[in-house]
Amino acid sequence: MSYIEVKDLTFSYNEKTNVLEAVNINIEKGEWIAVLGHNGSGKSTLAKTLVGLLEPKEGEIFIDGQILSEESAYEIRKKIGIVFQNPDNQFVGVTVRDDIAFGMENLCIPREEMLSKIDFYAKKVNMLDFLDKEPANLSGGQKQRVAIAGILAMQSDIIIFDEATSMLDPFSREELIKYIKTLHKDGLTIIMITHDINEALLADKILVMNKGKVYAFEETETIMKKKEIFTDSHLELPVSLDIANSLELSDKHKEIREKLWEYALIK
Amino acid sequence: MKSIIIGQYIPGKGMFYKLDPRTKIVAVLFIMISVFLLQTIFQLLIALSVAIILLLIGRISLLKVLKGLKPIMILLIFTFIFQIILNREGTPLISHPMYFTIFTLIFLILAFIIWRVLAKLLRFRFTLFFLFAGSVYVILRFVDFGDALIEPFNFAIYQSGLEMSIFVVIRLLIIITLSTVLTLTTKPTDLTQGIEKLLHPLKRIGFDSESFALIISISLRYIPTIFDEANKIMLAQASRGADFSEGKLKDKLKQVISLLVPMFIIAFMRSEELANAMESRNFVPGEKRTRINELNFNYKDVLATVFSILVLAGSIVLRVI
Repeated sequence: MSYIEVKDLTFSYNEKTNVLEAVNINIEKGEWIAVLGHNGSGKSTLAKTLVGLLEPKEGEIFIDGQILSEESAYEIRKKIGIVFQNPDNQFVGVTVRDDIAFGMENLCIPREEMLSKIDFYAKKVNMLDFLDKEPANLSGGQKQRVAIAGILAMQSDIIIFDEATSMLDPFSREELIKYIKTLHKDGLTIIMITHDINEALLADKILVMNKGKVYAFEETETIMKKKEIFTDSHLELPVSLDIANSLELSDKHKEIREKLWEYALIK
Repeated sequence: MKSIIIGQYIPGKGMFYKLDPRTKIVAVLFIMISVFLLQTIFQLLIALSVAIILLLIGRISLLKVLKGLKPIMILLIFTFIFQIILNREGTPLISHPMYFTIFTLIFLILAFIIWRVLAKLLRFRFTLFFLFAGSVYVILRFVDFGDALIEPFNFAIYQSGLEMSIFVVIRLLIIITLSTVLTLTTKPTDLTQGIEKLLHPLKRIGFDSESFALIISISLRYIPTIFDEANKIMLAQASRGADFSEGKLKDKLKQVISLLVPMFIIAFMRSEELANAMESRNFVPGEKRTRINELNFNYKDVLATVFSILVLAGSIVLRVI
């Protein structure tokens, strides 16, 4: 059994149209998945159903072998955390320290333990010097890092990033990606929802959503060779990959292909 | 708009900082009640000097407290003036006619212009205001030549009027100083937590003090964010031709609506996202939680509480005698 299993998941806000339709996904422990899709493709809804914020109409979600239901949501949310798009709307505490503590407070972790964990995880996201700062004095990227620390402190090992970089300036965005890379290296399972293909390229696998359905779910390298998947989903491949694909380079030109890939990743 | 300070908390050291917020709230409440029980100026003056001594012991700069009084100053002045003018009991201390002639009017206008010009140039606004008020009095009192615009009227200050006004002002002064000390030395978060803990017994009658405290702390947290937002929307609307500073009242109201509607919509969206974020981090309303900020009640708090109880008891005794 996979670490995260989504079986025939269907969701709708009203009776008429399904926002998610028969979604089947298996994600292994430690994988980095990018979820790509146009606006309204259902990618954010998928994220919300995964943490039990929305209740599916049909289908089941298993996380670490445990089925997600209203009763098990509390237990499951210990394993899975989510960083939302707007850095301001998820900062609950009055200071950085309070905000990192918020999740742990809900889990009734003793105060002494909280204090040492806050120091540990604040250091991990390089926010140790800001513990007493108020959110008004932090940048968007810093707030997102605090959100990550809050999730790590709850000992979650799955983190969903729901377009977490989309409201950040280029510099903070690059920095946040750097932290996501470290988290991946530490063995966390990462689900990154984005509409930025360059960002998605960093993932192990890419899931393309289209009109509430899983349109494709493959290894990053393989999926990038299939241009039609992206054009069908109103997404655009980076130019360099487009070139690499259209040149149909033979093995002799491996070097050029690699360079083009590298270029796409840097961008 | 990054530097909006909520409350007046100034970090520092000293006796009052080390007290538990619950102690401070209770003590301030007790002492305020005692101040209301006092009946003579003499008693109040003693209370005021005790308060000042306490401030000095607690190493709180009087200057900061005075700054805290500034917004209330106008209120104090008006209380004082109204008490003096309206209270007409006891023996008159001063009583003399006042005149209002054509020259009085000219002098008044001159004084007003000089005051406004100086106020723009100099920094001693309060002093200038008092000088202006004094000059108004002098003009009304001594400029008795020229054609009278209204009949001369009598100006009198009565003994009890003066006493009452001093009494009321000192009482207000003490109360405001007390609450300033409370807000000056207590973080807003500690204050909410103190209130939460104090209201905790009300749970029996169905009052959920924890949710109440959470609501307050989230409001405190979002004040700067919402200010920022208002600023952005104002700029956005101004760039579309809205004008928030000029125009008739009716136009102004219209402009305010153009600010309020988007702000409310955004606030609703925000609250939904915040609720999601809180839920995803395992927040369940009404469930037991541990707290990162703990209050600790030690011997100093006992002393402070005992002191405030003694003050209250003393003032009750004085009242009864």
